[in-house]
Amino acid sequence: MNSRKSASLSRRWKERLPAFVAAAGLLLAWHLLVVLLEIPEFIAPGPLDVAATFAERGSILWNNFWPTFFEAVAGFALGNSVAIALAVIFVHSRIAERAFYPIAVFINTIPILAIAPILVLLLGNGYAPKIVIAALICFFPTLVNMVRGLNAISPQLGELMRVLSASDREILFKVRLQASLPYLFAALKIASTTCVIGAIVGEWIGSNYGLGSLIIEATYNFRSPLLYATVFLGAGMAVSFFTITSLVERLVLRWPTAAQ
Amino acid sequence: MVDARLMRNGNEAGRETASRADSGDVAIAVSDATVEFGEGDDAVVALSDVSIDFLSGDFVTIIGPSGCGKSTLLRLVADLVAPSTGSVRVFGKPPEEARLAREFAFVFQDATLLPWRSALENVRLPLEVGKGRALEQEAAPKDLLRLVRLEGRENALPHELSGGMRQRVSIARALVCRPKILLMDEPFGALDEITRDNLNQELLRIWRETGTTILFVTHSIPEAAFLGRRTLVLSAHPGRVLDYFAIDLPEDRKLGIRDSVEFVEITGRLRQLLEKAA
Repeated sequence: MNSRKSASLSRRWKERLPAFVAAAGLLLAWHLLVVLLEIPEFIAPGPLDVAATFAERGSILWNNFWPTFFEAVAGFALGNSVAIALAVIFVHSRIAERAFYPIAVFINTIPILAIAPILVLLLGNGYAPKIVIAALICFFPTLVNMVRGLNAISPQLGELMRVLSASDREILFKVRLQASLPYLFAALKIASTTCVIGAIVGEWIGSNYGLGSLIIEATYNFRSPLLYATVFLGAGMAVSFFTITSLVERLVLRWPTAAQ
Repeated sequence: MVDARLMRNGNEAGRETASRADSGDVAIAVSDATVEFGEGDDAVVALSDVSIDFLSGDFVTIIGPSGCGKSTLLRLVADLVAPSTGSVRVFGKPPEEARLAREFAFVFQDATLLPWRSALENVRLPLEVGKGRALEQEAAPKDLLRLVRLEGRENALPHELSGGMRQRVSIARALVCRPKILLMDEPFGALDEITRDNLNQELLRIWRETGTTILFVTHSIPEAAFLGRRTLVLSAHPGRVLDYFAIDLPEDRKLGIRDSVEFVEITGRLRQLLEKAA
C-alpha cells in the first residue's frame, strides 16, 4: 500500500519534470540573453535582478499585494454570485431571460478599459470600483455557462421529475444545481484568473495602492526589476487562485461528467 | 382469440361490462384516446381512437413497430402527454390526480439516475420530492435494494455500477412509493441479452412479490411473450390496437419455457401480427 503510494507520487513528479525543466531552461536563456547582449537593467532586468528585488523590496511588494488580493477575491465572489443568481432566474423565467440576456451581452462587449473610468467617476477612488471591475470581468462567462449547466438535464430526467410531481424549487435543488456544477467550475476556473486582471486594470485607472498602481509607478520611474517582480507576483496570485479552484472542483465533482 | 371484453371499439361492450367481466378491477381505462403531436399539416397522429382497459394486478406487455405509439400510450397514462380527444382514467381518476397521489411509477429505457447520488440515495429520491403522497405507503429503500439484489452496493455511485445494476436501482426507485402501477418503457432495451434474460426473471419475481400492475413496452417478441400475462399489439401510422390477448403460459415461468412448443407458437403469432402491423 505504502510502496504503491510512493510509486504514484514519484510518477507524478516524473510527469511534472518536463515543465520544471522547461521553466528552468527559459530562466537560463533569459539570464544569458541579458548578460550576453549587455542589455541595460532599466530596459530588461535579468532574473537575478528580479529575485534580488523580491528580497530587498519585499515589504513594498507585499503591502501592495494584499489590496489587490482583496479586490480580486471580493470581485470574484460578487461577480460569480450575481451571475449564478441571474442564471437561476433566467432558467425559471423566459421573460427575464429575453429581457436581460441581450443587455448582459451588450455590457460584455464594452471593453473593460472603457468601463473602468466610468466606474471610478461613479464610485470614487477606493476599493469599490476595483471590486466592481473584477466582478464584471468574472460575470459573463459564469452567466453563460451557468445557464447552460442548469439546463443540462436529460429530457428523461425532466420526465422523471414530472412523474414525481416535483416542484420547480425541488428540481432546482435536487437536480439542476448539481447538474450545473461541471459547467460552473469551467467558468470559475476562467474567472479565478481574470478577476486578478480586473483588479489590476482597476488600479491603473486611479489608485495609489495595489499591484496595478505599483506597475504604473515602476514603469514611469524605469524601475524595471520592481516592475517585473510585480508582474510575477500578480501572475502568482492568479495561478494560486486557479489551483485552489481546480482543487475544490476535484473535491466536489466526484462523478464523471461530460464537461470535464 | 381477441379479448373483446378489454378491447372496446365504439360499438362494442362498454366499460361497465368490461370491468365486471374479469376477476380483476380495471386499473387503467383508456377511452377513444387520440394523441396528435404538432399542428396543422405537420400534425402527426401517434395514437388514433384507442380504447382499452388494463386490469389491476395484470402484467401487460405492449409491442408494435416503431411509430406505433407504444411509448405515447404509457406517457398518456403517466400524465406526460395529454390526449387530443378521448379520456384516460387511472383508478377512476384523471392521470394528473393519479400522478399527484403516486399511484404509478415510471421506468425509462435509460436508468436516469442522478450521478452524484449513491444507489441508496437515488432510491430515496421519490421520498424527497413531490407533495400529496401517502407517507405510510413508503417502502424502506434498503429493503428495495435487497429486493433487486443489490445489497452491499448501497453506497456505490451510478458510474461504479454496470448497466444492468443501474436499471435495478431505477426499478427499486420506482417501487419506493409502493405504486399500484409500474409503467416501463423498454427498460431493458439497452442491455445485453444475458443481463436482459436475468432481469426478465427478476422482474417476474418482483411482480409476483409486489402484486403491482405492470405495463411493459418492448420491441422484443420473446420478451413480450415471456413477461406478459397479456400482450397488446399496436399497429403503426397511426397507432391503433391490433390485438390484445392473454398469453397461455404457466404463471411461474423459467427461461427454459422459451424452448417449448407453446412459447414458439405464441412468438410466431406475435411475429405474424407485427408483419401485419408495420
